[in-house]
Amino acid sequence: MSTQPSTIPISPVLPAATERTAAQAARALGKLLFDTPEYQAYLQALNEVNHDADVQRLSARIRERNIALQWGKGDALEQQAALTTLEAELASLPSFRAYRQVEETVMRLFHAVDEAIGQAAGVPFAPSARRSGCGCGG
Amino acid sequence: MLTEELRTAARALGEALHGNGAVQKYLKASADCEADPEAVGLEKRLLALYAELIARQQRGEILERSEIDAFNALRRQVYEHPRIADREAATTLVKPYFAEIADEINLPLGVEFAALAQAAEAKEKS
Repeated sequence: MSTQPSTIPISPVLPAATERTAAQAARALGKLLFDTPEYQAYLQALNEVNHDADVQRLSARIRERNIALQWGKGDALEQQAALTTLEAELASLPSFRAYRQVEETVMRLFHAVDEAIGQAAGVPFAPSARRSGCGCGG
Repeated sequence: MLTEELRTAARALGEALHGNGAVQKYLKASADCEADPEAVGLEKRLLALYAELIARQQRGEILERSEIDAFNALRRQVYEHPRIADREAATTLVKPYFAEIADEINLPLGVEFAALAQAAEAKEKS
């Protein structure tokens, strides 16, 4: 058996500390984002469209048409044309337009935050962190 | 556009991610890959060929079987290159870690932060 002391790599930081710190930093960032005026305006607009009868009626009809298209029901061209008309009608509603506008502001804010994260990490964050194809939370 | 508070919080998260072992491994593998002219050349060739074939398909052209085989062979060659394979292996460790950390941001928000951040980028590009 060797009498030489073995070399033990030492670090002032426990290995799990980085993970804990990153999770804590992420949670703190999420809370800060939640409190921003941009995000609060987004939540308010979301609440308004969720309670807008016209938005709900058109959304339901769009869902129906989408399902019909997916299942190949009826004439596809006709279904597609009806869908386009319904989507244009929805996009013209004032509450929906307001919602889209604040959503875009939130998206730009998140993008700027993501860029700041990536710059400090040395690797882009969002492209690797993404779980789904949709950010609507639905 | 960012407040100082948000910028500081984003930087703190980025720095914590930078210190993670999987991220360090990825950064090293990525740098090794970029420093290897053969790996860089192979990836460039693959991307150029991919862009060319896609453009031709979009113009309605039917690709020859031999062209598709050549593309698949090049793709295999790219992903079997040791430096590229190392980088890809390192990427597979970073992705679940980043997704887990992103969940911590998503929790108070109730939406997927990364998807919305990327949607803005996609919109800027279009």
